[in-house]
Amino acid sequence: MSYLEVKDLKVHFPVKGGLFGRTLAHIKAVDGVNFSIEKGKTYGLVGESGSGKTTTGRAIIGLNKITSGQVFFEGQDITNLNKANKDIRRDIQMIFQDPYSSLNPKKRVIDIISEPLRNYEKLTKGEETKRVQELLELVGLNPESILKYPHEFSGGQRQRIGIARAIALKPKLIIADEPVSALDVSVQAQVLNFMKEIQKELGLTYLFISHDLGVIKHMCDQIGIMYKGRYVESGTKEDIFNHPQHIYTKRLVAAIPDMNPRNRQQHLQFRQEVKNEYEQAYNQYFDDEGLAFQLQPVSDTHLVALPEKG
Amino acid sequence: METNKIDIGKEGSEIVKSPSGWRIVGREIMRDKVALFSLIFLIAIMIIVYGTSLLLDVREIVKVDLFSIHQPPSEEFLLGTDYGGRDVFGQLIIGTRNSLSIGILVTLMTGAIGIIYGLVAGYFGGTVDNIMMRILDFFQVLPFLMIVIVFVAIVPKYSILTFSLIMTAFLWMGIARLIRSKALQEKELDYVQASKTLGTSNFKIMFTQVLPNLSSLIIVTMTLNLAANIGLESGLSFLGFGFPESTPSLGTLVSYARNPQTLEFRWWVWVPASVLILVLMLSINNVGQALKRATDARQRRG
Repeated sequence: MSYLEVKDLKVHFPVKGGLFGRTLAHIKAVDGVNFSIEKGKTYGLVGESGSGKTTTGRAIIGLNKITSGQVFFEGQDITNLNKANKDIRRDIQMIFQDPYSSLNPKKRVIDIISEPLRNYEKLTKGEETKRVQELLELVGLNPESILKYPHEFSGGQRQRIGIARAIALKPKLIIADEPVSALDVSVQAQVLNFMKEIQKELGLTYLFISHDLGVIKHMCDQIGIMYKGRYVESGTKEDIFNHPQHIYTKRLVAAIPDMNPRNRQQHLQFRQEVKNEYEQAYNQYFDDEGLAFQLQPVSDTHLVALPEKG
Repeated sequence: METNKIDIGKEGSEIVKSPSGWRIVGREIMRDKVALFSLIFLIAIMIIVYGTSLLLDVREIVKVDLFSIHQPPSEEFLLGTDYGGRDVFGQLIIGTRNSLSIGILVTLMTGAIGIIYGLVAGYFGGTVDNIMMRILDFFQVLPFLMIVIVFVAIVPKYSILTFSLIMTAFLWMGIARLIRSKALQEKELDYVQASKTLGTSNFKIMFTQVLPNLSSLIIVTMTLNLAANIGLESGLSFLGFGFPESTPSLGTLVSYARNPQTLEFRWWVWVPASVLILVLMLSINNVGQALKRATDARQRRG
């Protein structure tokens, strides 16, 4: 059994309306997602806005109610994480997308980072301060800034505080929900490299949610591509970037900018071709509602949502 | 609201501490001279009123003395006497104490109920919020004035506490609504979600994470409510639905002005109390406005 296994995960949100607030319809934010992550690896979840990738991550950690499906962590069912064993709770942590709203503006850094410690570990004030300072040092911040407020830090520094908080309990799995989307590109690289470092150091497993393929390529071993709540393709980094099978993935990969300006014309032409193919073949690759088909194995690691006839 | 004292031990004592919310409030009040003056005035009034009322004998003050009816201010009676020959100055002190006590008590009680009620409704939202808000709506449609009048009629003797309680029962809804609407916004923020993933209980998130973010709103509202509550008590007493004459309040003193003779010729009975009400409410409002500015960086002067 895999380290983290998600089986047929569905998260549907009711659409209320009408005279008595009846449930008129459901938004299928996540509609039957399967994937598994190996220990110590990074799994990338890619998709456009509204594709359900964030919802998937939040459902795993229990912030969104799971409509149906199951989540297993180290072989244990954690579908209902809120009611599950408190010890599992501390093994799964999350890094939030927005470094501004994810830190309580009224709390000092020491209170923010020691919040998980206070919940799970009984430390004396002195030990706590020491741990927080160690964590701050680990994420590359000045350990003397423990009594500052979040607004005194830059976005990148705040994200590091968020990361320090997430790793304070030495978790096994971290769900990183677009951890660098709100940061400058220069800071993005810092944070990403730092995340890779602590992954090695602490043996972390990441579920990395992002829409930035460059970031994903840099970080991930396994990749899943989502579209409208369903998987269109999943596989290893090589599978996705070198042999994309689904037209949606092809178009995504083609959209990665090329660094070499001499190839610009060529690249543009290639993009146009892929675009034309996408538009022509759209009806073949998606069903009547515009949703992806069931995944079909192409190779041992590579799954693609191809139409039935193959 | 928030605890800023963090024991960091000896080795960490040179760590720079950022200014806390209280420091900003202090700076804002120091910068706004009117608010500063108002605050000093309020504190002085409270010290004088609560201090001297300990020395005064209430029964002596409210005792009717037919030989000294309607005396103008003199050395014996600093502010003269009313139609029962009672010392107006003594009544003013005791009356201010009673009015202030009721104002503060009602503000604190409505605040406590409103904050807890609003926070629970707003934080949990959904069905809990729906049910709690319908209960609140029920309280809101009750005719406050009529019920207070009935209460005064059926309860022969009531104390500051019981009077505050009956006022509280009809005044907590405003702050509850306010807190609820803010809590509804606040709970959607990522830091609340983060606290959940860190294993903090709902109760703890509500009172240690969300509440500090509402503290500025709470302080401002409660300060402005204090002025309103003092006014409300005085108004009720003026109409004769507050305390009986044996328990002086600012409102009862002003109500003597309903007698045209007193209104025209015996200013010492009602003018001091009226001025005091006016100045008290203005001062509280000034302080409240300064607090309000302190909570909003764009309006801050300091």
